[in-house]
Amino acid sequence: MKAALLTILILLLAMPVLAQQAPPTWQQGRTPDQASSPLAPHAQPPAPKAASEIPVNTIKVPAGFKVELWASGIDNARAMTWGDKGTLFVSSRGAGNVYAVVDQNGRREVKTIAKGLQMPNGVAFKDGALYVAEISRITKYEGIENNLDSVPQPKVVIDTLPKDLPHGWKYLSFGPDGKLYFNIGAPCNICMPPETHAAIVRINADGTGLEYVARGVRNSVGHDFHPVTKELYFSNHGRDWLGEDVPNDTLHHVVQRGVHFGYPMCHQGDILDPAFGKGHACSEFAAPLLKLGPHVSPIGIHFYRGSMFPPEYTNRLFIAEKGSWNKTDKIGFRVTMVTLQAGRPPKEEVFAEGWMGAGGQFWGRPAYVQEMKDGSLLIADDYAGAIYRVSYQK
Amino acid sequence: MTTRGPSTASATRSKTRHFLLALVAGATALAATPVADAADAEAGRRKAEPCAPCHGPSGNSTMPTVPSLASQPPTFTYYQLVMFKRDKRRDPQMTPFAMNLSDADMQDLAAYYAAQTPASPPAVSAVATAEAGGRLVKQHFCSSCHTPALMGQKHIPRLAGQQQEYLLKQLRGFKAQTAADLDGSMTMSAQPLSEQDIELLADYLAHLPPGGGS
Repeated sequence: MKAALLTILILLLAMPVLAQQAPPTWQQGRTPDQASSPLAPHAQPPAPKAASEIPVNTIKVPAGFKVELWASGIDNARAMTWGDKGTLFVSSRGAGNVYAVVDQNGRREVKTIAKGLQMPNGVAFKDGALYVAEISRITKYEGIENNLDSVPQPKVVIDTLPKDLPHGWKYLSFGPDGKLYFNIGAPCNICMPPETHAAIVRINADGTGLEYVARGVRNSVGHDFHPVTKELYFSNHGRDWLGEDVPNDTLHHVVQRGVHFGYPMCHQGDILDPAFGKGHACSEFAAPLLKLGPHVSPIGIHFYRGSMFPPEYTNRLFIAEKGSWNKTDKIGFRVTMVTLQAGRPPKEEVFAEGWMGAGGQFWGRPAYVQEMKDGSLLIADDYAGAIYRVSYQK
Repeated sequence: MTTRGPSTASATRSKTRHFLLALVAGATALAATPVADAADAEAGRRKAEPCAPCHGPSGNSTMPTVPSLASQPPTFTYYQLVMFKRDKRRDPQMTPFAMNLSDADMQDLAAYYAAQTPASPPAVSAVATAEAGGRLVKQHFCSSCHTPALMGQKHIPRLAGQQQEYLLKQLRGFKAQTAADLDGSMTMSAQPLSEQDIELLADYLAHLPPGGGS
């Protein structure tokens, strides 16, 4: 009953913020003195780079690790999930495609298995079916791995999610409880969102039983569950136009379901919003586990579960930072790793970098990380349209 | 589609060598040059020779339907060339040219044209047109993306002083949802425009001095 009410509420509140005659969403929240700021989001290139034009050898990793170009020509490659039979499914956002990458004797074949979807950023796999999250719906492709060349019609899991485009693209995964977890972002840069938005939610695999897992979450398009504690960790993008160096983008840990993480009242756990923070204190909200740096744009996060990397990598959290736009001196454009140890503050270090040169020009943007069966790490770059593989040898 | 390891294409190789040399020499100025997207405007000047008959010797077109490229943001020119090459934008003249360009060629051309000085438009439009055009620019938030001086930024083109016929063609194309559009922004923005709005805007923009003068 409660779920049904919530669904109705979502339907009622899902009025798209389709303000045709309004400034673009990314400009919302600028102060008058920021009106002529040259800062603007980086546009996705119209096509992926050719393999020969990807300077993979400029990516630096710790000693003993090796980076190779694993697959290319994948327009806007974003989130990755494995099928049971070894197919890597890759999502995209603006490109509207979903891809299947099949490894055949060391050569990767990329098939576009769905196109024309509305920002299909979320992909998850369970019991032979690929689940795809678009803006307002989740569908599933049953028996997909047996039918990569004659893709079955998808079935609707849920199609009553908000239709707002800003921060409406989703990261989708199956939790340890078998439920589908995904985000419903704030439909703006900074605003008082409807009750339905700025959250991470979960539903049953059949689309029923919507529940709120975390609230006050502006834009989280990456999460993972700790391999041991099974608890949810997620990345989050802080608001723009508050300053070059604030607020930090953040990493969060959900210790209790339904907790509020502060947006839009409080940012990075300790900065009250100049408008929406009035009458509040940051202590009302759950603080982030870690500040990741201003505007670095953390997207995919992944706990390392494999055994190829040295033992200290076990349960380390990799974070793909797509890189900043709302900051004059660009930062991010790298993959970091966070070591979490009970009783100690989390420690963040750089794992892979080199997508951006010293002059602030960049040729790629790491978006998501995923592990291979052998324990090597895949990094998807949505800007170059490529996937890199990082392996380790003693 | 099958992928291979890093290519040994000569462009990549020479850039890599350039980078390594810079590192070895400890030449910070060189090392600060972005590794991959180190566009070469001087090379672009040579590569632009076949473009001059239509786009003008320094990217200032004198043909009404051909856009001026001088002072266009480099990402704009680069992305448009990629779109022509990948058949995401079609034009009987441009498509065959773009087909033969490498990634480095496109970036060099973009860097070259970005560095050229835009010519001043031939004449100003009538006062009434200018006022109406200016109002439309405000009303439709053109400068949100094209910048207040309408000189463009990143992947977004300079409009100030652009060829009028070309602006008309593009705006009508966006309105009709037939013009190639990188991300849908212009198709969406053009929907509320009437034919009269389009004509006023094209006239106003074509006569607007590039460079932020009024």
